[in-house]
Amino acid sequence: MSADAQLLDLAAGAFLLAAVAILWRRDVRAQTAWLSLQGAALAAIAVILGADQAHPELYAVAAAVGLLRAVVLPALVRRAVTARAEDRESAPLINVGASLLAAVALVLLAYAVAQPLVRLEATTAARALPVGLAVVLIGLLILVTRRKALSQIVGFLLLDNGITAIAFLAAAGVPILVEFGVSFDLLLAVLVLRVLTARMRAVFGGSDLDEMRELHD
Amino acid sequence: MDRTLTDAALLLVPIAAPLFAAAVYAVAGWGRATAHLGTAAAALILASGIAVAVSVAHDGPLTTLGGWLHADALSAFLLLVIGSVATLACAASPAYLAAERAADEGGSSRRYGALVSCFLAAMCLGTLAGNLGLAWIAIEATTIVTAFLVGHHHTRAALEAAWKYTVICSVGIALALLGIVVLYDAARHAGLSEATALNPAALTAHARALDPAVTRMATAFMILGFGAKAGLAPLHAWLPDAHSQAPAPVSALMSGVLLAVAFSQILRVKQIADAALGPAFSRTLLLIAGLATLALAALLLLAQRDYKRMLAYSSMEHMGLIAVAAAIGTRLALAALLLHIAGHGLAKTVAFTASGHLLQAERTTRIAQIRALATRRPALAGILAAALLALLGLPPFSLFASELGIARAGFAAHLGIPVAAAFVLALVAFAALARHTAAMLLGDDEAPAAGAPPKTAATARLSLAARTPLITGLTAVAALGITAWPINTLLNLAAQGGR
Amino acid sequence: MIAALLVSLIQVLIVLLGAPLLVGAMRQLRAVMEGRVGGGVLQPWRDLLKLLRKAPQRPEGTGAAFRLAPLLGVACCAVAAAAIPLISTRTGLDAAADLIAVVALLTLSTAALALAGLDTATAFGGMGASREMTITALAEPAILTAVFALAAKVGSTNLPAIVATTLGHGARLASPATLLAAVALGVVVLAETGRLPVDNPATHLELTMVHEAVVLEYSGPDLALIELGAAMRLTVLLGLWSSLFAPWGVATSAGPTRLLLALAVFAGKTLALGALIAAAEVFMAKLRLFRVPELLAGSFLLAVLAVTASFFLA
Repeated sequence: MSADAQLLDLAAGAFLLAAVAILWRRDVRAQTAWLSLQGAALAAIAVILGADQAHPELYAVAAAVGLLRAVVLPALVRRAVTARAEDRESAPLINVGASLLAAVALVLLAYAVAQPLVRLEATTAARALPVGLAVVLIGLLILVTRRKALSQIVGFLLLDNGITAIAFLAAAGVPILVEFGVSFDLLLAVLVLRVLTARMRAVFGGSDLDEMRELHD
Repeated sequence: MDRTLTDAALLLVPIAAPLFAAAVYAVAGWGRATAHLGTAAAALILASGIAVAVSVAHDGPLTTLGGWLHADALSAFLLLVIGSVATLACAASPAYLAAERAADEGGSSRRYGALVSCFLAAMCLGTLAGNLGLAWIAIEATTIVTAFLVGHHHTRAALEAAWKYTVICSVGIALALLGIVVLYDAARHAGLSEATALNPAALTAHARALDPAVTRMATAFMILGFGAKAGLAPLHAWLPDAHSQAPAPVSALMSGVLLAVAFSQILRVKQIADAALGPAFSRTLLLIAGLATLALAALLLLAQRDYKRMLAYSSMEHMGLIAVAAAIGTRLALAALLLHIAGHGLAKTVAFTASGHLLQAERTTRIAQIRALATRRPALAGILAAALLALLGLPPFSLFASELGIARAGFAAHLGIPVAAAFVLALVAFAALARHTAAMLLGDDEAPAAGAPPKTAATARLSLAARTPLITGLTAVAALGITAWPINTLLNLAAQGGR
Repeated sequence: MIAALLVSLIQVLIVLLGAPLLVGAMRQLRAVMEGRVGGGVLQPWRDLLKLLRKAPQRPEGTGAAFRLAPLLGVACCAVAAAAIPLISTRTGLDAAADLIAVVALLTLSTAALALAGLDTATAFGGMGASREMTITALAEPAILTAVFALAAKVGSTNLPAIVATTLGHGARLASPATLLAAVALGVVVLAETGRLPVDNPATHLELTMVHEAVVLEYSGPDLALIELGAAMRLTVLLGLWSSLFAPWGVATSAGPTRLLLALAVFAGKTLALGALIAAAEVFMAKLRLFRVPELLAGSFLLAVLAVTASFFLA
């Protein structure tokens, strides 16, 4: 196993670990710290791949991805946290212990589902690919089971980080223009969600999504 | 003039015109002078749509900006639909906003104008993108710009709808991105270059080299993801909320064209998947999604108490039918599908705009609180009735022809049972829709339903400015139903899936 | 053979003599960080000697379980200390030094102590025993899964074999499987030794105590053995963790100089880990008891991730 492969595995491991930690913590501030770590791990993956495949374009992508996902987006979420403790995830649909066990199942599922992708190419990067899919699934789990506005934003970011990781690990990233467009959309989407969260606080007096039940059939 | 230059101009105008209008709105605000700027931009989209359609029909697909923008028959057709629906919706906007201001509610008109124009630009970009990645970016952009339009009225319900809309659509579309990434991986391993690996035409051409298992995964993710934006089950929950809370012209745009633009991506994906895997795989997925959507819509229509939500579920019903048509996938089915998209887009625009006037006049969205519209407001009632008849698929409107086409294509393709099931469900929806509409339009004026609100605003008549776009739209749907000759060639070309 | 037995003997002795010193050092560090003077590194030894001099006293009605538990605790830790390659991979219990066996030995001492807690028939004893067993029951799957992750890479659960392989391929330590297993086992070690955030070794608050509740009825020499056993348990588990995840310095041959060096490195590593825990405890609050399962479920998840990583990534 070469040193590059080692580093790549390590970065992928840190990436997954951050997702698990986010699932584990209820405090949004702590979650954003892990989100930063995850963004850094994602940038590291891009840098390692860039060095490995002599693909200098990837360094620019890595810098942009690192800036956006390790600094800007977590900071945006953190700044939306109010001083009051209302953003703590106090009553998720399934408790944290159970969702951690559910994450075990999701990781195994991700490995099973990603097999065709792994078989496509026998590189270290492709072997680490299920990690990205596992993070996508964990993000979906957070989106489905957490009932606070900010937790859902965190879940959405997790989902998106996972997809970006898959793009890097599978094919050294999508074309650079597409990558930037996607990042820009992501940034705008998070901004929109933040504004909506602020409005929600003003109108509902909190960011609990269970407050919203006017529209149903 | 040089062909490449005209091509570039033709493809750039539909994107640049609304962007320019958005910039003007952002700077100058919404006023008497600028109120119809959006309509002008939309008309420009329609005009360039016609030009693109003519050019595509004569000389084949247009391409510019190194392949990033691309127009084939399908995109030309969608551009026409966007242009006509947008023209109607934008023309109806000033009257709607004026009434809203008179009633002292709603958000800023400046933001409304800018966002609607951006929305149009994003949809045109999504249609003309010659690259799945770019199309994805444009469709996610539509979510972002419409989030605040859905939350235009700062009420609790509007906020709830905006949140659900943004989260569900962003997540759904993220799954589509996952599918695109996976497909890109497969394409790169099939030997396509970085520039062409997301190009639908190139992908279809090299489909045989794509890894089948990976392509299957990508197709499933993309149908699920773009299906979320197209209002297909299982990620449809945002649709009734967003459509019922957005301002009426925006609901019209979302229901009339946004769903169609998202669905056109599914058509492109299906083309690639069919070439790589054979038609069975995408057919199964689309049939499941389509029938599930139809069933949900039909059941929820039965018990509907809110007429804007009723229209939203009717959109879901039509999208379900369109998904079934895509599943059939023959030339006839695809031509009928496209005609259905056009007819539904126009009729739904009229229906939503009319429902907006109805809401402003009656101050309620409850079906039970509206009675005897036909005697109290004959003009509005007539338009609403015609639009709903069109949506129900009655002749002479074009939805009759397209539904007939879908049914015929389904039986010809030996998909009798699922198509029969789809039409049984459509019939349930038909019955529900007809019953609710009849309850609103007919009845006795003297005996209002219990709990009817005071009829203070009841005197306002439908102005000429408000009436013109509605009647134009209805005429267009009826004309399409009688003869489709202006778009015949285009429909044929698009249904071939080539050129 | 003689040399190997000697190595085991040295390991047992160093753990036996050093464990109270480690506890003393950790308490002293905490005291200093909290701005107190502290009792000094030797204080645990002083306490032990004082307790050993006292006359044995046992509560009325207690039986063999209460009497034997302290001895069993020390004995289990001593056997584990002899088996784990703390300073050399060639120990006298080479063949028996199975990772699963070591884990079972340590669990045996926990179980014995829980039985002793029940034997006193007091409310605290029973409550403590029940809590202790809950935590163990949750920690055990995590340990075994993490062990599986490590064993899968080497193809054996034999501890000296694992350590020797890791020493041979130092870079393997940086793999995700090993790192995840390290975190998972780290959490479990904290839980098993009754440290924060699972249990607070420095409190006798009835609502929160776990380990202290079990041993509430002990006094005199028995209490001394209990304290010694707990200290040895901490040392052995920290030693096990460092042998698995930071095996540098562990001798693979039996030369006296190598052994001396390994001894010094072992002492240094264990002290460093202890200091790390003590420093972290200053800043950490104890988890509420019903959140402990969450922590251990997380640790189990990490262990499963380690297993999947070792299978799929390598």
